Amino acid sequence: MEYLATGQEMSLMDKLGILSDAAKYDVACTSSGVDRRGNGQSIGNCLAGGICHSFSSDGRCISLLKILFTNECIYDCKYCLNRCSNDVPRATFTPEEVCTLTMEFYRRNYIEGLFLSSGVIQSPTFTMELLYRTIWLLRNKYRFNGYIHVKAIPGADAELVQRIGFLVDRMSVNLELPTAEGLRNLAPNKHRKNILTPMRQIQNHIKMNKEELVLYRNAPRFVGGGQATQMIVGATPENDYQILNVAESLYDKFELKRVFYSAFVKVNEDKSLPTLPGGPPLLREHRLYQADWLLRFYGFKAAELLDEKRPFFNVMLDPKEDWAVRHLEQFPIEINRAPYETLLRIPGVGVKSAKRIVAARRSGNLTFADLKKIGVVLKRAIYFITCSGRMMYPTKLEEDYIVRNLTSVKDRIQFGSDGMSYKQMSLFDDNSFQRILLPEEKLAVAVGQF
Amino acid sequence: MLVFQCEDSLEGIFTGIYNAYEQKSRPEDTMMSLNEELFLFAEYQTVRPDAEKTLKVIRTLQNRFGEEDYHHICLALSTPEPMKAQAVYQTVSLGLRYSGAVKGHLFDNLANDYVNKAFTLGRTAGNENCHMRGFVRFQELESGILYSKISPKNNLLTFLMEHFADRLPVENFVLHDEGRGLFGVHPAGKQWYLLSGAEVCTEADRFRLSERELHYQELFRYFCHKIAIKDRENLKLQRNMLPLRFREYMVEFNKQLNIG
Repeated sequence: MEYLATGQEMSLMDKLGILSDAAKYDVACTSSGVDRRGNGQSIGNCLAGGICHSFSSDGRCISLLKILFTNECIYDCKYCLNRCSNDVPRATFTPEEVCTLTMEFYRRNYIEGLFLSSGVIQSPTFTMELLYRTIWLLRNKYRFNGYIHVKAIPGADAELVQRIGFLVDRMSVNLELPTAEGLRNLAPNKHRKNILTPMRQIQNHIKMNKEELVLYRNAPRFVGGGQATQMIVGATPENDYQILNVAESLYDKFELKRVFYSAFVKVNEDKSLPTLPGGPPLLREHRLYQADWLLRFYGFKAAELLDEKRPFFNVMLDPKEDWAVRHLEQFPIEINRAPYETLLRIPGVGVKSAKRIVAARRSGNLTFADLKKIGVVLKRAIYFITCSGRMMYPTKLEEDYIVRNLTSVKDRIQFGSDGMSYKQMSLFDDNSFQRILLPEEKLAVAVGQF
Repeated sequence: MLVFQCEDSLEGIFTGIYNAYEQKSRPEDTMMSLNEELFLFAEYQTVRPDAEKTLKVIRTLQNRFGEEDYHHICLALSTPEPMKAQAVYQTVSLGLRYSGAVKGHLFDNLANDYVNKAFTLGRTAGNENCHMRGFVRFQELESGILYSKISPKNNLLTFLMEHFADRLPVENFVLHDEGRGLFGVHPAGKQWYLLSGAEVCTEADRFRLSERELHYQELFRYFCHKIAIKDRENLKLQRNMLPLRFREYMVEFNKQLNIG
């Protein structure tokens, strides 16, 4: 076939180099969301938590074999390394090559599965067909039972998107840029509508499939790991508030599993792209992820974290601390009484520690020492909580005071710096009188062996 | 006080727990010990591991506390910590006394020192288990067998074998715990088993890699190199996520093999 002709002489090593290099700006390299036991006859299983197999020198996890099928592209998106006006080496895998690589890497436990994206070659439908053929081979001929994540190409035939959905665990359509205007400026060949159509289609089909699965347990699963998307942060002038609102509506209206943010890395020189003297906006990306977690697991709304008057995240404080110091009227929170949803709002208390607090306080009142054992980050939490009606230290419930303490390392109250008590100790309030002795201690006292 | 001296194994400790219950000894005056250290005025019993008693304890734990908490106990017992037997025993005895019939609440009372200890141990081992699942690297030998050396801090071989047997049922593979001299062997399509012994160890060094093995190692190393974004380089983060102690056995960090 014609499209294979250029790649024929190139070695597999060169192709892998070019096509993983081209895929590295795609985020969403997770392998979570699906629990599938091995079937005893072919290679592969999936774990709901996902598995990270390695970490590259930028600290991001390598979980899937993240490659493009081809980096030939008919589009000219200004931010993209593979745009058609760039003079970069081009390569195209054959479906067999992708399959062999995946299988050989997988059985050596290098990877958790395949992440397949592609430049648009000839037309979106043609490209999607190539992806479909590859995935079909991998599932049916190579009988691969591990994780597969495929990008849906906007504008491809709906029938193809649906057929591929039954073969893969996760699908994603790249939103590319947070707003339609940004997309018009930087990706002239892509349209917001084309991106949202397959997203909606996948959403509807997942819903339908869930109902099917209730009726027929063995019905084929459609995109079992849910749908994801990603957008570039910092290439266009949107503020954090806009981006967060977009993410929120994607979660609410499109029922996405994840939205990924990728700090813009300038790979092309173009007059419509911003200059980034300080490197990619990594802190901004980090704050967005923090806020994203607050939306999904902590019951926050985008409008609570930011608003039109303060459209950007605080650089010094994380979004939760920032929210807390602006809502001091809701604090301090009593650890032994507060409901789970309220516990989640305390800085330094995460989903796990909130759950543990709720479980542990059934057997008795919790103290600050217990909280530390449970895993609460006391250096952040102490300004906002009480245990049995007392704060740990005499702190002021003032915005300035708390912000100063949270941000500067020097002024911060160190946990346990004063023997962890809020009052002068005397002989008679030694707590160990009240507690039942451990067997080792009894024995040690009786025989004088310490 | 009654001290049960157990062997450092799942079977040993579970039998100890069984004996303690059989003799109706009070948990406050009972200790599970793994070492030979003696206390004055304490009564000692040496526990001989017993398969039947172990199974009974396992069944009780699973029925009362559920699969997940039982798994957590097993993880806690895979650590090298000498306190683990006592912590698990006290946790279980507390759980049997208070937790009623609701499953999944064994480790609720984290304010209790024993429960906390058992929980922390289980979590430590569980974290390493997660790491090892990802960081194990198989090498293909001439005979087509996949072989991997590991040396985790905790004794995770059984957990890893279970995972990989489910994942690679059609492969012949061997996991070699170098530090403990243990082998997990999985013949294709059959039940896996454990082996120990020095003879196998010396033989292991004579294995030769298959021809294409180095090619795929080089491919993966190249992939790991290419997938990193230069502008975002962050070696400290990489070290946090993938501590140096794991890298010894991972092909992408192995500098000596540079063929390609």
